[in-house]
Amino acid sequence: MNRNELLRVEGLSKSFSGFSALRHVSFDLRERDILGIIGPNGAGKTTLLECLLGLLPASSGLVLWKTHTLAAHTRKDVMFYLPQDIVPYGEQPAFRLMGLYREVYGLSCDREREVVARLKLQNVLNRRIGELSRGYRRRLLLALALLTPKPILLLDEPFDGLDPRQTVEVADLLREESASGRTIVLSIHQLADAARICSRYLLLVEGKVVGYGTMEELRTQAGVESTNLEAIFFALT
Amino acid sequence: MGRAFWATMLALTVLVGYSFIQAVDLYSQASKSALEFPELARGMVPLEGILVPTLGALYLASTLLLPLIAIRAIARDKETGALKLLLQMPLTPALLVTIKVAAVAIAITALFLPALSFIPIWLYLGGHVHTPELLNLLAGHALYALDIVAIAFLAASLSDSLSTAAIFALAFTLAFWVLDFAATASGGFLHRLSFYSLTAALHQFEQGLFSLAAVLAMLLAALGLFALTATWLPTGFAVRKKLFVSSVIILLFSLAAFGLSRARVYIDVTENRRNSFNPADEAALRRMQSPLFVWIYLSPEDSRLKEMEANVLGKLRRTVPRLEVHYEDTTGHGLFSSVPDERYGLIIYQYEGKRGESRSNSPREILPLLHELSGTEVKPEKEPDYRGYPVVADAAGYGVWFYGILPVLVVLSWWRVWRIGTLSTNRDRRRYFDVYSTKF
Repeated sequence: MNRNELLRVEGLSKSFSGFSALRHVSFDLRERDILGIIGPNGAGKTTLLECLLGLLPASSGLVLWKTHTLAAHTRKDVMFYLPQDIVPYGEQPAFRLMGLYREVYGLSCDREREVVARLKLQNVLNRRIGELSRGYRRRLLLALALLTPKPILLLDEPFDGLDPRQTVEVADLLREESASGRTIVLSIHQLADAARICSRYLLLVEGKVVGYGTMEELRTQAGVESTNLEAIFFALT
Repeated sequence: MGRAFWATMLALTVLVGYSFIQAVDLYSQASKSALEFPELARGMVPLEGILVPTLGALYLASTLLLPLIAIRAIARDKETGALKLLLQMPLTPALLVTIKVAAVAIAITALFLPALSFIPIWLYLGGHVHTPELLNLLAGHALYALDIVAIAFLAASLSDSLSTAAIFALAFTLAFWVLDFAATASGGFLHRLSFYSLTAALHQFEQGLFSLAAVLAMLLAALGLFALTATWLPTGFAVRKKLFVSSVIILLFSLAAFGLSRARVYIDVTENRRNSFNPADEAALRRMQSPLFVWIYLSPEDSRLKEMEANVLGKLRRTVPRLEVHYEDTTGHGLFSSVPDERYGLIIYQYEGKRGESRSNSPREILPLLHELSGTEVKPEKEPDYRGYPVVADAAGYGVWFYGILPVLVVLSWWRVWRIGTLSTNRDRRRYFDVYSTKF
């Protein structure tokens, strides 16, 4: 096990009625990592995140937390997964959902206020979740993720629905979270967004890992000179 | 509380109002004759004449509308993705289901409240309510509703969409109606199976009978279904594992249900003791330790069999320790059949080798026959005279309450709850206003 390694995934596979969505995926997560899971639509990014958390039963494979195996039902103790395109409790005002998370996790109002301020949600807290724009809804859900006191955040397409300015702001925010000690796993299909924020990458195509590591390591694997993630991705696939 | 809840409450106020006004009208018409003839007055029982028909609206709402409310509590979470967030909270699936059951239980209680507004009106009209009868009836409806919720929860946990879950749950609840209907038309297995239908269980409460076995069975059924819901709700377990856990749950609850079905504790809560024989007769019947066999030659649709069930067999089942009733095949025979059978209508009793026959379905004739078979002499005890409660009243004017004021109150409540930040006496609004300094 590497120094600072928090979590290791070994040979994770998932099949749906004979279709292999994930094929022996292995990687590790280190403290303060921002790991980008990169791949085209249908590559298995969401399946990987859901199997990792235990929301989907994996067909095989292991998830180890600091050397010991993490059973599927206990993974939620160390990870929080933010799914893509969900509209939970659309009839409720945003502040109720925030309040629910604050109370469930026993957080202070100060912490909630800080998260709300960082995501600039002050003016929409009294609006119903179902009536929020996609960008605000995404930020609200990100706020929930930041409120949860879990060491690892799994975020599925966190920049989806955000405009360029918001994307930059959220990327900065995630970097700050990482710097303050959290490990973040992002599933991204926009390579430019990934290059902007991730410290390491897992390139996934048709459920298989085709590249894994830092930008330098990926360049070596791909055998290209370019530091452009897009060029490396195309070279590896 | 979602729109389905408020729509159900709105429908229920109208349904209860209509049922109540119709019931009072019929009761009044019957009471006019009863006031002239005291013998007829004994038949004027508010439980049968007012409470059961009026709360029939609750039964309808529980069967047809409540599943939609309950399903929404789970299916909406699945459809909107909220379940993925919920499953990550520090809650076990069992606790999650328990919280949802509590939420729906609050909704059911809220539904009951406007439905019960007919009671003060009935009392104001000069009517009478025997509290144990009312409480027993409400307990029956509450247990029935709980079982419907449990069916709906399981349907929602097994289905991917709200509509599929609704079809599944309604098919299940309506199957009890089909079963009851089929049981009246055909005997044998269906007839025996119909004793275990939810509607049959509720019917006992409507009869003014508190049966511990029925209460425990309904509770156990609900608990079992909730346990199955908690098994199927989490998405992270393989189907094979869920099937195994479900099999264990079904096995355990079946064993428990079998054990509890032997709980022979019955309380006749009716004021006129309609579910009981004379205490002296009951004492003698309880002493019959050998098996009492009964062979009945009546077709299931014959009204005499229904009277026999209500007046004699039901009471015998609750008193005689070892009773075996055999419904003989009467296919092709009966009142309107072209095939005559001289045995049709006959009921044969056998106790310790001695046999007795009768065509009567009246306890007055059957009880002496049974005492003769068991060789006991019984002198009936004197019981308090039930005189009935005839009431001549007109409830039509109260339509304003049920069709006007109550629906308006429901809509106003709906609107008030719908408004943001008004649910918890504005405390949340004030707190957030202070914290974020934003206008609400």
